[in-house]
Amino acid sequence: MSLTRRNATFLLGAGLLGLATGTAAAQTVAEIKGRKVINVGMLVDFPPFGIMNTENQPDGYDADVAKLLGEYFGVKTNIVPVTGPNRIPYLLSSQVDVLVASLGITPERAEKVDFSAPYAGIRIAVIGDKNQDLSSPEKLVGKRVGVARASTQDTAVTKVAVAGTNIQRFDDDASATQALLSGQVDAIGCSNTVIAQITRVAPGRFKEMFPLSQQVQGIAVRPKQTEFLAAINDFVAKIKADGRLEAISQKWLKAPLADFVAAAK
Amino acid sequence: MYDFNFAPVIASSDQLLRGAAVTLELSVEAMAIGLVISIGLAGAKTSKIAPLRWAVQAYIELIRNTPFLVQIFFIFFGLPSIGLRLTPNSAALLALVVNFCAYATEIIRAGIESIAVGQIEAGRALGLKPLQVFRYIILKPALRTVYPALTSQFIYLMLTSSVVSVISAGDLAAAGNDIQSKTFASMEVYLIITAVYFLMSIVFSAIFSAIEKAAFDYPLSR
Repeated sequence: MSLTRRNATFLLGAGLLGLATGTAAAQTVAEIKGRKVINVGMLVDFPPFGIMNTENQPDGYDADVAKLLGEYFGVKTNIVPVTGPNRIPYLLSSQVDVLVASLGITPERAEKVDFSAPYAGIRIAVIGDKNQDLSSPEKLVGKRVGVARASTQDTAVTKVAVAGTNIQRFDDDASATQALLSGQVDAIGCSNTVIAQITRVAPGRFKEMFPLSQQVQGIAVRPKQTEFLAAINDFVAKIKADGRLEAISQKWLKAPLADFVAAAK
Repeated sequence: MYDFNFAPVIASSDQLLRGAAVTLELSVEAMAIGLVISIGLAGAKTSKIAPLRWAVQAYIELIRNTPFLVQIFFIFFGLPSIGLRLTPNSAALLALVVNFCAYATEIIRAGIESIAVGQIEAGRALGLKPLQVFRYIILKPALRTVYPALTSQFIYLMLTSSVVSVISAGDLAAAGNDIQSKTFASMEVYLIITAVYFLMSIVFSAIFSAIEKAAFDYPLSR
């Protein structure tokens, strides 16, 4: 048969169709073990969760979790770089088996994909001088509250702030933290990783006053893969129990695994 | 093609105006305080007392060879550790004055050294007191000589003040950054604040020329 352009297009189309219908079948652990590789979608532009390291390989918190996942199933981990907007389409079109892509668990996303138990989380809160009572937004009136300009915590603090709160915006978390440490502000809004760092450099001086918001990240799979999701949940429970997730958290976030992630089922 | 949308920026124009007012206030205060201190330091730098000259020289070298950003961080974040706690705007003013004086002192010193010794001797011969000699015989012609260099340093001071938002001072650049982070209209915001800075520079230049005409408009013998 001579391969005309028309034939070639037809063949390509038929092939793609076959690929699409073939992989849309239910994902099973046996199938992944059979092909000896698990395809994991991961962000590589979201430090410290997903980065490209100096050898130009995906690395970070998510990469370490992804590698452990491959190890758990006894297969090779093939990391596929995805981006924030295309990560769910990558999963739904079966180009990856799972997403370990810092995907925050939200009701909207849960309609499209199924989430495992949380393996990571970010909480933002107000932290301040422990000798002052700053336990609610009302108590911040007349106080100086630092935030990194245009950050999530800026939006959150601005939203809850009562008139008369003096919000001071710095260029980044480092400057806001410095302002807190040098007493130039009474409190700052920041994430749990920053709070852990502050507690380490200045133990006993500050305490968390009230939470602003928190988000947990889960491993995502295509919907209705009951057996596969159960296996992944077992994996998450196992690395939480044996301390390996704690080690990853210490390695990349320089902080213990947040209690609201550790406790979440 | 980028779609310009100035509406959200125009809606925040009072925030921009407040920012511009802070920038103007900081600049004018720093210019006035800085000029007075620089004249004193230039006097010290040309004095006969060696330790005084060395101290001023050390200060000038320290400031002129370090970035302004580091200086302002040091004043805002560092000084509280020795008990000196300043609000963002006063820390910004102090940093601008400290930075400006290092440059202006050298400019004024150059002016003072351009005065011929004979002219000073003539002043003394006429029976003027030392302070009168300094004021009328040395300082005024010295300032006249270096006036163009001094005014460009003034303008530079105002433009440098755009850095003070790093310590959360509320100047024009900080207002621009805040609006930009809320509206994501960064191009529009920066175009507008650039135009405002430009306008303020032009107005300052015009005022400086007027001052030059009023203060230094006398004939030279040479």
